[in-house]
Amino acid sequence: MDGGKVTVGRTAALYAGAAVLRLAIFTLLPDLPDLLTGRVEVSTPVTSFKRCLFLYNHNVSPYDGGVYHQAPLFLLLFSLLPNALSYPIFTYLLYIAIDLLSAGALWKIADSGEAGSSALFSSPRRERRWSGFVIAAIFLFNPFTIATCLGRSTSVFTTCAILHAIAKAVSGAPFSAMVALSFASYLSMYPLLLLPPLLLLCFDRQRPERAKKSILSFAATHVPVVFGVLGLLFGMSYLITGSWEFLPSTYGVQLTLSDLTPNVGLWWYFFIEMFDSFRSFFLAVFWLHLSCYVGGLSVRIRRQPLVVLTLLLGIFAIFKPYPSISDTSLFLAMVPLYRHVFPLMRYSFVIAAVIMYASFLGPAFYYLWIYAGSGNANFFYAITLVWGLGLSLLVCDLMFAVLRDEWELERPEMAGKEIRQI
Amino acid sequence: MPPNITTLNTTRARTYVFRLPLFTRVVIIAIIAFWIAGLQSVVDVQQWGALIPAEMGIATLYRMNTFPFIHLNIWHAILNILALTPLMERFEAEHGTLSCLALFFGPLTTIPALLYVGLEKFIFGGNVAVMGASMWVFLLLGMEAVRTYKANPSFVIGTYSIPTWTTPIALLFATAVLVPSSSFLGHAAGLVVGYGAGLGYVKFLAPPEKILRWIEGKLNLLGRLPHYVSIDQKTYGRFGVLPSSNGALSSSPGVALGLVGSTQRLARYTMGWDGMMGGSYVNLELGVGASDSTALESFLHAADGTAVKMPRLLSSALALRRDPRILKIPPYLSLLCILVGAVWLFLLPLNEYSRRTYISENALLPGQVHTYFGGSDQNVLRAYKQEVNSLVGKSNVEINDKLESIVKGLGLKTARQNFTYNAAGRTYAGENLYAILQAPRGDATEAIVLVAAWENVKHEVNKNGIPLVLTLARYFKRWSLWSKDIIILLSPDSIAGPQAWVDAYHDAHDSSRVASLPIKSGALQGAIAIDYVQEQRFKSVHIVYDGVNGQLPNLDLINSVVNIAGGQMGMGVALQEMWNHNDKYPDRLRTMLRGMLKQGLGLASGPHSSFIPYHVDAVTLQPFGEGWQDEMAMGRVVEGTFRSLNNLLEHLHQSFFFYLLMHRERFVSIGTYLPSAMLVAANFTIMAIFLWMKSGQPDEVPAASTPESSDKETPTPPTAERDLLLPLAVVTLSGSLSAIPLYVFNHVSESALTPLFYLFLIINTLLPIAISTTSSQLFSPTAQQYHLIKSFSLLLLGMFLSSLATLNFSLAMLIGLLSAPLSFVKPSSSPVARIIGFVLLNLTSPPAVLLASAAIWGLNVGDILREAAVAWHVTGTYSAVVVWCVWWPAWLAGCVCVLGRPEEQEGKVKKA
Repeated sequence: MDGGKVTVGRTAALYAGAAVLRLAIFTLLPDLPDLLTGRVEVSTPVTSFKRCLFLYNHNVSPYDGGVYHQAPLFLLLFSLLPNALSYPIFTYLLYIAIDLLSAGALWKIADSGEAGSSALFSSPRRERRWSGFVIAAIFLFNPFTIATCLGRSTSVFTTCAILHAIAKAVSGAPFSAMVALSFASYLSMYPLLLLPPLLLLCFDRQRPERAKKSILSFAATHVPVVFGVLGLLFGMSYLITGSWEFLPSTYGVQLTLSDLTPNVGLWWYFFIEMFDSFRSFFLAVFWLHLSCYVGGLSVRIRRQPLVVLTLLLGIFAIFKPYPSISDTSLFLAMVPLYRHVFPLMRYSFVIAAVIMYASFLGPAFYYLWIYAGSGNANFFYAITLVWGLGLSLLVCDLMFAVLRDEWELERPEMAGKEIRQI
Repeated sequence: MPPNITTLNTTRARTYVFRLPLFTRVVIIAIIAFWIAGLQSVVDVQQWGALIPAEMGIATLYRMNTFPFIHLNIWHAILNILALTPLMERFEAEHGTLSCLALFFGPLTTIPALLYVGLEKFIFGGNVAVMGASMWVFLLLGMEAVRTYKANPSFVIGTYSIPTWTTPIALLFATAVLVPSSSFLGHAAGLVVGYGAGLGYVKFLAPPEKILRWIEGKLNLLGRLPHYVSIDQKTYGRFGVLPSSNGALSSSPGVALGLVGSTQRLARYTMGWDGMMGGSYVNLELGVGASDSTALESFLHAADGTAVKMPRLLSSALALRRDPRILKIPPYLSLLCILVGAVWLFLLPLNEYSRRTYISENALLPGQVHTYFGGSDQNVLRAYKQEVNSLVGKSNVEINDKLESIVKGLGLKTARQNFTYNAAGRTYAGENLYAILQAPRGDATEAIVLVAAWENVKHEVNKNGIPLVLTLARYFKRWSLWSKDIIILLSPDSIAGPQAWVDAYHDAHDSSRVASLPIKSGALQGAIAIDYVQEQRFKSVHIVYDGVNGQLPNLDLINSVVNIAGGQMGMGVALQEMWNHNDKYPDRLRTMLRGMLKQGLGLASGPHSSFIPYHVDAVTLQPFGEGWQDEMAMGRVVEGTFRSLNNLLEHLHQSFFFYLLMHRERFVSIGTYLPSAMLVAANFTIMAIFLWMKSGQPDEVPAASTPESSDKETPTPPTAERDLLLPLAVVTLSGSLSAIPLYVFNHVSESALTPLFYLFLIINTLLPIAISTTSSQLFSPTAQQYHLIKSFSLLLLGMFLSSLATLNFSLAMLIGLLSAPLSFVKPSSSPVARIIGFVLLNLTSPPAVLLASAAIWGLNVGDILREAAVAWHVTGTYSAVVVWCVWWPAWLAGCVCVLGRPEEQEGKVKKA
């Protein structure tokens, strides 16, 4: 599966195949997209396509009534398209294009070879990697990606922005990377946590002709870019909606978890059960937990910032307030970049089995809870725990493999020997 | 577990140590001496003296006696001494130093050693070296335990009384789990011999007392040796020395004395030992859980603390994972899972595993109201019966015209609904008639449904049911106590009509085939269907409760009907066509298995079936048998049930939705029966994991070719790279092929079904051969790839089945048992084995099973397939999906595996 020589024809065939597959499902199974849009695994309150348009088209402020929790620019985007109900094809084409753009960015990241050899570290195994073609194909034909695309979750835009931010960073364009990251943060807020490792990545991959020596001065020039662009986007949003009320109902909802619709994450059940007096404390704890990984990982795996980004994406897919399979698909898109450390992973079969089990049992238990009425919320929550377990195993195992890879470079005599994490 | 402080004072400990008898001292000193001897690095004492199965020979028989003295390190030695001393001291005090010497340098050491070597070398084929005195410890513990058992047969924890002789076994397992690299087998061998000795089976090996006494006298050992315990001086335990002893007990030779005291003592020692083991992460035990003797060295280095420091507990668990013997277990484990799962099912009807039913929802109050249906209503019923009889043989529309005029005459709102279904080349069309009786006290937010189909599932005209429903409607109309609307549904048939109506009621219908309902009421709370064909008086009521896809109504509804019909009205109640049920095991089992079969097929069994997927609890009531109950009694049953449902404040939710009924008053709930299906599903997962691990093992060939590097090798051989592409392709191919039979059998017309089926049977036999031949010619798969094919397909099968078990237990169980052979097929080098395997697999293939079941029930295959197609199109039964898309691909992959010729063998025995 090394891809060999990637010709223009193969590239076109890959993209065309992915697009045709999605279009075929959209047209041949017209009920499926709507079904997926309604699934809690695909659509969360902050990414639901369904919640997106209705109010705006009816001349009501979309943020009235606490249903719509997404950035105002989505409204602009979707109202520029022809009506999604009567001409769904334009929406479909937009989503397919976004997926292809994401795949393109991923391809760039893969071909840069950053995963195998960064500025400060070159893996001895870096030759064993998959080409961008294979990695893009894995992303495009991943069932989770396809389901997200069909369910028209707005998180695909975030995915695309994050992947472009990383792609720009590895190709030595820090300014564009920062702009892309601000777009991602504007859309979903949580990508802002990716800023430190992304800065490191940009710093490591600067073009030599105008490289800055000090990381501090580099950060001082680039962090303002992010906040500047964010400010600009907020300003535009203010102009569109005419008030600042979008801020609490977009980002406030993520921060306070006021919408407790079930999803594949771990927050909703916990906060349903929570007594109100403890709520703010645990909100702080959960957010602190989510963000505390950023610093630790950036310091520990300083030599491979792309690894930090990948691991953080995996951690966000487990622990963020409204995760969906879309976040998982983004994480799973990044994991194949580390083909060279796969032999060092120990639980690959267990991980695959757990994730597959959870993805089949999840809908079954949700059905028992909501439709058959013979189960209850604990059924579904239990399976989201298993899902989280599978993903966290993958995160841990990938981290183990990467660290082991680094360690073997320092201690070549230990290569191939059994070691244990403590 | 600290010893009691008050009983432990230093003087006592001192005297105890000073009074240790001779042989015990010698053993302790020898252990310490060997440890000191092992400190130097010139001669490897462990290698010299340990019990290594592969090294056993005539010249090395000394190992059988030296191994208890040699320990891995200081902690191992100390802890073994601490454990051994009290036991050995006691034994010596009882039997004398000389016999102790004779026994412990003779049979009591060599027998367990031989046992261990035999087991390890010839049964398990391993070569794990053991050393250390803990084999003695277990041996002595076994003897003690047998004695304790004779005096104190059991102790009580909670409500369970546990025989005392089992305590060393518990300790054995605790040691194996808790103590890193302890030799379970070695301990077990010691324990077995200990039990044998305790029971007196090795008494004949003990040296004759006369000879010992003669030696003792001749050499004057008692005079010359300090702390010597004479044969005559035997104290039978030296009671009175230890604080826990019971001096009042006198000695009676032959049996150990003061057993109560000794039990306490024993328990304290063992617990103290245990506590030490748990408290420190030292490497205590004797066996080295590694596969070869070189591993011993690396382990010793680790124990010396030069290598990575880690919790040893974890390391023993991981060492276990690497043990090659572990890989031999899974097939047996998986077989065990299947057997336990199947046996479990047959235990369920026993009183111990099933429960009596009970009404869980207190609001139902079944049988608590007077029923007044009767009297003049009988005349009305007769009149309606007359009308209905005149309609027999007329068209659906004519019937509905007449019935509608009757219902309208009662003052109810009526409406009609057309529906058309196409399945298996036939059209199932008709017109439903329904009426709504608005609740005098309700607000039309809730409704209960009374259903009577013109024809029942056997296409008999519901001659009494329809008039009864009409009479009941008229009767209900007179009452003012209804708090829920009552909907009367008169459908032309038992399956399609109710299905169309319920779909439309919940707006889940396809409006091109099924018309929408013009009038509606509130949320449906329950439904009762009447299937009353019998003309003469009846004896009992048959409750049909199976829903589509194996879903069941809430058990409270069935219990209410049982309560009202059986308790209040005094008529019998039957389930699952068990007309005579004696509530004994065979009848219970039969009822349960019939229920499971129906549930597994997932077909609609009556007008009520379509309601259940919408979470509307429903049953069909069928009167049967020769008796003295008349239509009025049946009406009263319905009235009573409706009064109960009318009481409900919320949906039935209290009782069970997952259950197996085996008698009208006996059931098992999901917690009790689900493990059996899960075990069967787990067997596939276990095999999948096992095959995955097996596929990762490198072949033996490279290890043998580089002998000089092999001794440097770490305990784990590096995992072989797996080639995933071909296995994934085969599994995906078989999965995607499954869409073809699913589509074909659900979409061709009835007449083509039978020939197509036989055609498919032939293709089905040839397909695996074709896939196998093509793949072996194009890709020449290796054994590893066959393992992976099987692993993936079993993983998927196990995954689907365990998901399915939560939705439709019986179907999962059925498919699981039928595909159980797939766990055990593997590619074979001999063509005969291949052919036999292939034939056997073909006998359990989905089409073959279909054919066989058709033959058993005397049905036509075409009819079965038509029913399945109808169920697929009308009621949305998904059993076909499970058969074709879960079972069949797994079967296909299994066949490809069985026919496979792994590449290695072809390389050696190349055919022309």
